[in-house]
Amino acid sequence: MLTCPALAASATLLTDLTASPQGGAFLSATADPAVQTLNGFLAEVERKAFRMAQMALRHDEDALDAVQDAMLQLARRYSSRPSAEWRPLFYRILENRIRDLQRRRTVRGRIMAWVPWRGDAEETEADPVERAPDPAPGPAAQAEGGQIGTALQHAISLLPARQREAFLLRNLEGLDVAETARAMGCSEGSVKTHYSRAVHSLREQLSEFMT
Amino acid sequence: MSNEEDTSAFELRARELLRDSVDNLDAATRSRLTQSRHAALAARGTRPSWLDLRVLAPGGAVAAAALVAVLLWGLPSHHALKESGSALDDLELLADSDGYELSQEPDLEFIEWAAAMSEMDPVGT
Repeated sequence: MLTCPALAASATLLTDLTASPQGGAFLSATADPAVQTLNGFLAEVERKAFRMAQMALRHDEDALDAVQDAMLQLARRYSSRPSAEWRPLFYRILENRIRDLQRRRTVRGRIMAWVPWRGDAEETEADPVERAPDPAPGPAAQAEGGQIGTALQHAISLLPARQREAFLLRNLEGLDVAETARAMGCSEGSVKTHYSRAVHSLREQLSEFMT
Repeated sequence: MSNEEDTSAFELRARELLRDSVDNLDAATRSRLTQSRHAALAARGTRPSWLDLRVLAPGGAVAAAALVAVLLWGLPSHHALKESGSALDDLELLADSDGYELSQEPDLEFIEWAAAMSEMDPVGT
């Protein structure tokens, strides 16, 4: 019987879709240390990246798409770069992808609002996530209700993009100022400004529940 | 408590809450992320396929927009249609020698008749 190594590897991948975050079965199919290093890096960042994208996009499927695209781009284009460079690169790709998705939503909303023959209004409404009033209570009300974690995420999602990015890269990913500046593609001074404004804004809303 | 210490305590608490939110991610989402990671590892070092619709879609949209622009540009405007109509009339007159002569010669009979009528009834009643 003819067997193709690539097909065999694909079959291994498909049967291991629910493997552990460290991807044990996948790694057993390849002994390439470069793949193992990349797998370890992606496994470490994927959940944090998802939370970041989720707070930015406020949509789980879009957040998963953004993380998947960022992982694909890093693996395709930058996997040959030194692994020390991956982290800021990955988060820069992710943020660009998030912005693309936000722009696409806006454009789609404008086009659909203009198209006269649109059918199902529910599907074609302009950017329902942006336009619909948020049914959830505000961050302070959520904090009062004991949902302090949800309240914090909600408050972060309402921050301006650069402030949100700086706050999450520093506090969720644990990057220092220099790494955050590389990931955001700006100066360290800008990072400090965005970060300080983000902390000030969040403290105003939530400090009495979080200290 | 100074403002700096207060901020620091706030940040530590925020980090703790964010870390909890990552640790408590549901199983379905974790599984989707694992699938995505495996797909990325399998695609490592490869170029995106030209048959990938997500690659083709922007190019297709640009091509469609260009086609519409070319069609709109190429269609003769209303003014151009009128102009081309009068040019055809001129061409017809030039080609038809009889018609051209008729249009150039004065109608003497009619002029004589009109002059006679105006002499008979100068006020035109």
